[in-house]
Amino acid sequence: MRISRRDILSGSVGALGAATLPFPKPAIAQSEPIKIGCLAAMTGPSSAPTIGFNRGVNFAAEAINAAGGVKGRKIEIVVRDTQGDPTKAVNATQELISQAKVHAIWGPFNSGEALATTPIMARARMPDIHPCVVETLIDTTKFPNAFRMAPSNSQWDDAVRNYCLNILKVKKVAVIGDTTGYGVTAVGASVAAFKKDGADVVYQANIDSTQPDMTPDMLRAKTAGAEVIVVWSVSTGMEARMFNTRAAMNWDVSFVGHPSMSSGEIAGLVEKPANWKKVYAIGYKSCSYDAAGRLPAKSEDLVARLLKANVAINDTLLWWVAGGIDAIELIAKAVAESGSTDSEAIIKYWNTLSKYPGYFGNYTFTPTQHNGYLTEEIVMSEAATARNGTFALAPGYT
Amino acid sequence: MLASILASGLAAGAIYALVGVTYNTMFSTSRVMSFTAGQLAMLGGVFGSMFTLKLGLPIAAGFLLTLLGCAIIGVITEFVAVRPVLKNLDQHLYVLSTLALALMIQQVTAIKWGTEPQPFPRLIGWGSGVWDEKFWLPVAACALTIIGLEYLYRRTLVGRAFLAIAEDNFAARALGLPERNLRVASYALAGIIGGVAGFSGGELLLAFFANGALLNFYGFVPVALGGLGNNRGAVIGGLALGLFQQAANFLVGGIFSSVAVFTLFIVVLLAAPQGLFGAATTRRV
Repeated sequence: MRISRRDILSGSVGALGAATLPFPKPAIAQSEPIKIGCLAAMTGPSSAPTIGFNRGVNFAAEAINAAGGVKGRKIEIVVRDTQGDPTKAVNATQELISQAKVHAIWGPFNSGEALATTPIMARARMPDIHPCVVETLIDTTKFPNAFRMAPSNSQWDDAVRNYCLNILKVKKVAVIGDTTGYGVTAVGASVAAFKKDGADVVYQANIDSTQPDMTPDMLRAKTAGAEVIVVWSVSTGMEARMFNTRAAMNWDVSFVGHPSMSSGEIAGLVEKPANWKKVYAIGYKSCSYDAAGRLPAKSEDLVARLLKANVAINDTLLWWVAGGIDAIELIAKAVAESGSTDSEAIIKYWNTLSKYPGYFGNYTFTPTQHNGYLTEEIVMSEAATARNGTFALAPGYT
Repeated sequence: MLASILASGLAAGAIYALVGVTYNTMFSTSRVMSFTAGQLAMLGGVFGSMFTLKLGLPIAAGFLLTLLGCAIIGVITEFVAVRPVLKNLDQHLYVLSTLALALMIQQVTAIKWGTEPQPFPRLIGWGSGVWDEKFWLPVAACALTIIGLEYLYRRTLVGRAFLAIAEDNFAARALGLPERNLRVASYALAGIIGGVAGFSGGELLLAFFANGALLNFYGFVPVALGGLGNNRGAVIGGLALGLFQQAANFLVGGIFSSVAVFTLFIVVLLAAPQGLFGAATTRRV
């Protein structure tokens, strides 16, 4: 048979056309596990939240897999220990994307690591959900793949200001932070926002967290007429010293601010338990119990399930565990609803969520808003009332 | 306000003074400024809290074990960070080796002990307000340490041998003094003094890994102010530093007090480079 040039040309066109048609995916792709990368600071100084988050992650993955998986596909958690180190987090991210070939990433869990890993994940269009607070981590133009399922710094700030001005109904405010980058930035932002809302910021300071005596600053705040002291610091030592100094001064001013004020370590640092009263730390509706000692029904149910599954919650915070569960369920739900582990499909599904009912909170995302946690779900807790990782609502909430 | 400045200023100053004496004790027999001094004081607080609160030992036993632990770290400093660089003192390699060891101590403490401050027990339970033991205990510890050191140096053979080594290393060796053993002993002694600083100041500073770096800096200031190797100068410099720092805290606030302290430090060194109580160095020509 003679093959003419016309035959070759028409054959080439046909082959080219066939190549553009979707290639049928092998059945294995529909049964392979859903791989979720987890950038977790399992060891090192910032490992406490990870321990809580991981309990939730494992609990959720086991529950989904026990129920048959997501449309028959099992959840596989691929954990990498970043040790809280941005360099290690970057390496782990690249390895999860290019070697482990995960379908979505949960984490990292601190902003320092997230600042380093977020651009890398954005380049790979890797769906990422994280709980880090720094504002710039969420930018739907630069990082359309990154979603935040916990409050940002400014949401914390809004909640604290709302409590001081609208519930405690004070007007004269002292704002104190430590001398870290976080402390200085947070105090500056908080002071500006209080002033914008018409409050009188009578005293502001950044204190070295190792300063042994807090009397000078507390005395100046008192002399200036402060009716509440807003604290932006992660230093429990500094906070405990401020509480002790308040007691020594016989001053009954309230402290309102950073969640670290409710850290269990403070119990050992205050000179007497009474010094830890009238301290209201940032908490969450879902993880706060009312005057009768009851959590919201959904959280009560979760606690019962966790305890039944022997998941310890007495040495961690419930919101960490609940947040870990929500992250895995959000990824699983995206795969179930979109029918695909394709990154675009997961991102597209998340962008449609409106008040998605998680355990930690209700999440809302749109293509232009990836701060998913609702500010109205942030409340103040009585710092010294920890019980199974939950806290009593501060006075003034109904 | 004055009472508060005096109470906390003297307490912090006494701790700085003891760290300064720790620097001097290590320097006297080796001519090395070992930047592990502040870490030894930090360990005094951490060991104290660990033995008494975590392990539940009586205060006295906890105190003795703390001193023993700090003495061992002092000896390790001599072996690891000082002895290898003694032959090249003029190259100041000890700055690198002792700083590296100090960082290692700090990081290991952070990993094993934790990065949050831990409570320190009340040791005696005397006093309240500005007379609380957390304020006067470091001052008393500083006074007793200085008296003890004066007795050691003036009344005991070992103390005189220390002085001989400090005065003229080569002559002391020529006379048959065991220079190496005495140097090791002086590092153990420095460890004990650092341990006393951390233990007596534990109620004020808490058991916190980050205290090491703070005390390294603030403990060095009295040494520079008082004159290298001059314990009396270090005590006066330390107390003055504590009082000035606390007064600055009251008058200009937390962040600016550090600026005020280091401004004064630079001004004093510009006026008297050998320190306020140090003798000007003589050079053979």
